[in-house]
Amino acid sequence: MPKTNSDQLHGTLDMLVLKTLQNGRLHGYAIAVRLEQLSNEVLKVEEGSLYPALYRMEARGWLSSEWGMTETARRARFYKLTREGRAQLGAETQSWTRLTAAVQSVLSS
Amino acid sequence: MRILRLALARCRALVRRDVVAGEIRDEMQFHLQMRAEEYEQRGLEADDARRAAARRFGSLVLMQDRGYDVRGGGMMETVLQDVRYGVRLLLKHRASSSIAILTLAVGIGVSTALFSVIDAALLRPLPYPNAEQLVDILVHATRDGDSGHYAPSMAEIRAWRESGRVLAQVGAGRVTGFPRIVDAGQPERLIVGEASEDFLEVYGVKPLLGRGIQLEDAREGAPLVALLGHGYWQSRFGGTPDVIGRIIRIAGAPATIVGVLPAGFYSETAVWQPERAAASRLNFRGSGTPVRGRLRPGITFAQAERELTAISMKLPPDPDQTQATSVRVELTSLYDEETGGSGRTITPLACAVSLILLIACVNVAGLLLARGAIREPELAVRASIGAGRARLVRQLLTESLVLSLAGGLVGLILAWTSLDALVTIIPMSLPTNSPAAINLPVLGFTAVVSVASAVVFGLMPALRISRVRMGAQLAVAGRRHGSPLSRGGGQLLIAAEVALAVVLLAGAGLMIRSFARLVEVDLGFDPDAVLTMEVEPIDPAPGVREQYYPALLSAFRTLPELAAAGAVDSLPMRDGLSVGFVTTGGQTNLIMKQILPGYFEAIGLPVKLGRRPTESDRTGAEQVVLINEEAARLFFPGGPPVGKFLNMLGERPRRIIGVVGNVRHSGPLWAPKPEVYLLYGQTAPNPLSIVLRPRASATLSADRLLQMARAVGPQVLVGRIRSGSHDLADNVATPRHRTLLLSLLGGLGMLLTLVGIFSMTAYAVARRTQEIGIRMAFGAGPADVVRAMVRDAAWPALLGLAVGMAGAFYATRLIASFLFETTSHDPVTFAAVAVLMGVAALVAAWVPARRAARVDPVIALRAE
Repeated sequence: MPKTNSDQLHGTLDMLVLKTLQNGRLHGYAIAVRLEQLSNEVLKVEEGSLYPALYRMEARGWLSSEWGMTETARRARFYKLTREGRAQLGAETQSWTRLTAAVQSVLSS
Repeated sequence: MRILRLALARCRALVRRDVVAGEIRDEMQFHLQMRAEEYEQRGLEADDARRAAARRFGSLVLMQDRGYDVRGGGMMETVLQDVRYGVRLLLKHRASSSIAILTLAVGIGVSTALFSVIDAALLRPLPYPNAEQLVDILVHATRDGDSGHYAPSMAEIRAWRESGRVLAQVGAGRVTGFPRIVDAGQPERLIVGEASEDFLEVYGVKPLLGRGIQLEDAREGAPLVALLGHGYWQSRFGGTPDVIGRIIRIAGAPATIVGVLPAGFYSETAVWQPERAAASRLNFRGSGTPVRGRLRPGITFAQAERELTAISMKLPPDPDQTQATSVRVELTSLYDEETGGSGRTITPLACAVSLILLIACVNVAGLLLARGAIREPELAVRASIGAGRARLVRQLLTESLVLSLAGGLVGLILAWTSLDALVTIIPMSLPTNSPAAINLPVLGFTAVVSVASAVVFGLMPALRISRVRMGAQLAVAGRRHGSPLSRGGGQLLIAAEVALAVVLLAGAGLMIRSFARLVEVDLGFDPDAVLTMEVEPIDPAPGVREQYYPALLSAFRTLPELAAAGAVDSLPMRDGLSVGFVTTGGQTNLIMKQILPGYFEAIGLPVKLGRRPTESDRTGAEQVVLINEEAARLFFPGGPPVGKFLNMLGERPRRIIGVVGNVRHSGPLWAPKPEVYLLYGQTAPNPLSIVLRPRASATLSADRLLQMARAVGPQVLVGRIRSGSHDLADNVATPRHRTLLLSLLGGLGMLLTLVGIFSMTAYAVARRTQEIGIRMAFGAGPADVVRAMVRDAAWPALLGLAVGMAGAFYATRLIASFLFETTSHDPVTFAAVAVLMGVAALVAAWVPARRAARVDPVIALRAE
């Protein structure tokens, strides 16, 4: 069962990380770079805090990881979505959409 | 699956801390390098690029730590940390820790010991393969208007076996009520078993050596055979395998040893013999011999009963008997048969033991609460640097677990060392085939009880103590203040344990009162005044016995130390019974005893009517008897029976020459039954027991009696020589053991409660030194402060007394069936328990409270 995260900021970071992994496996640095691009550098988080978040999501079973080689032949740890992770991403996207729609309707009324 | 993977990951993190931490470091280093390269490509110097990357990443050390926490090492590590801290704390507060551990050890120890008895008696009483298929078989039959449950006859058993549809095996076997003389080189009086063919096979028991009992062995005229029990084989033959074919004499008859049984099967029985067809009581229904069968797999009890009944209905009646009008075969599972009634004994014991454990837990909760009050500053510091309440509760619970595991370990040692003693006094028969022991299930029980206790005694203090208010506590950190007693928790605990102890004490008190009444019952004679002696000529010929016993009595009568000497075949409170059926005035059974003249004088039974028997009565042509008052009342309600005839089933009428006083043959618990005394030699003579009445202040050595018994002539075996009071003690052993056990548990519960009150009050006094100092500075006398401290414990104790009394009122119903002429609400006992517990509680509070009087106000205030 996908869990909804009570901590909205945590939840948002989690959702974004899951989103970056939607199209295949990435290592931590690549995830950080994708987050930058996706959010137009709006989210200014200490990059290091990405890692505890990754470990937490792995412990929850949303991600799986393994050591592998980058294109430049360097050793890096790669993350990919599990089935549960995909379900979680779906659930989080939905609730996010609902939330933003609600906020939008309040602001535009 | 995921939980397993996660657990594995966590264990890996804990065990290979360096590897996991290394992985995290490598991964973050890679990130920093990539970021630095990106900056270099944008044109920064290598050093600047590295610094910029590090700035952007945040604190590497912090991230690594947080990463490690998430990766699982974290939680396990804090648990280890808590355990280490718990052990340190335990060592630091040695006094209170030892009290806590000992208290828990007592609670867990008695629970463990009792559980191993329950394990042996109820969980694995039948150490046989597929024991659930074993059944006990009885026949309910109606014949000539009488109906009842009878043991099946041998003809019936064989018919069932031949049909073979419902029973895989069926056989009969019993252990003789009186020991018999078995002579294998040296005569001994031993328990002998008699079994039909197939009896061993029912249990799935195979002879260790040789063969079992076969159908041919029971045939008339077949050579006599015997099987040795394992214990007797070991003790008499040293366990040599070449016993097969040797001859032993059983009650004078030579028999060939054909087999040896394995250990653990009827371990009390020395020798087994086949039931002989000709003389067998099994020719008739109602022999009293247990009949056991093994159901075929898949056959239900109802189905088996139906089919066996159908077979029994077709059988001809027993010899010399009329056909039964209705027959119904009834099966009981052997498990129910063996364990029936155990529950009645176990339940109150298990309840008592649970109360002890609960008191122990309450006690330790009190200690932790008191200790927690001292630790408030420390906990406040922890809370202020970020430990949440859950974290504090977890730490406190871990500490409790350390305590209770230590208590459990000591308790296990206690249980292990006391188990033998418990087994000897447990008031129930334990299966000899599966002795109580500390085995794996028992160890598991101890572990579960320890952990459960930790939660029971740890949770309340943990929740209370963890509710620290940071600011307030920090402000006074290091100062002693307040009273753990008056602040609710402690007083509640005192009330609780007093209530629990009162329930235990009420049970113990009732048992003691009941037992006191039991031993005061008039047995009809004074057991303290007589000596009894078992003696039997090895040659079982009637002539030898009829010569020997009178000759021995004549020898004893020459002793000036003796006032009287007599003999009887079944001693009150010691021996089994022969039963006869009286046809005078209705058909009722009565106890038959064979006596030699002198018996009534020796045992001290008064002759109420008629006269005593004499030697000439015994050798005279006329068959004469004496009866007791109960028999006179039942069979001769019309008038004095002396001179009338007593008619017994299958015997010639006998003239009654006297009526003697009643005796409670089976012991004080049972009312006197009708008895008839036959003169020795006027019927087939049984072995006798000698009854001697020494003169007051005379001393007789057992050795002298023994020598005299051997000097008469024929070779004899002498059994126990002892005082009649020993027989009484043996007879009431079960109620005495029950009383002893419940009294021990009651005493233990009270002791634990007093320790609890003592230690909680002592803590309160120690912590309120400053307050007491202030009070004294303002003019309170030493007596005032002591009274105040005692009052703090007295109120909850009083409340506990009231609650405990109400609880005991219901709880003592559990033992109502064990009480003799005592109601389970006996007001005297309840009042005594209330006074005892109340006074003891006050003393337990007063002793440590006296220390308050010695407080010097100047020193107490300066200590601040």
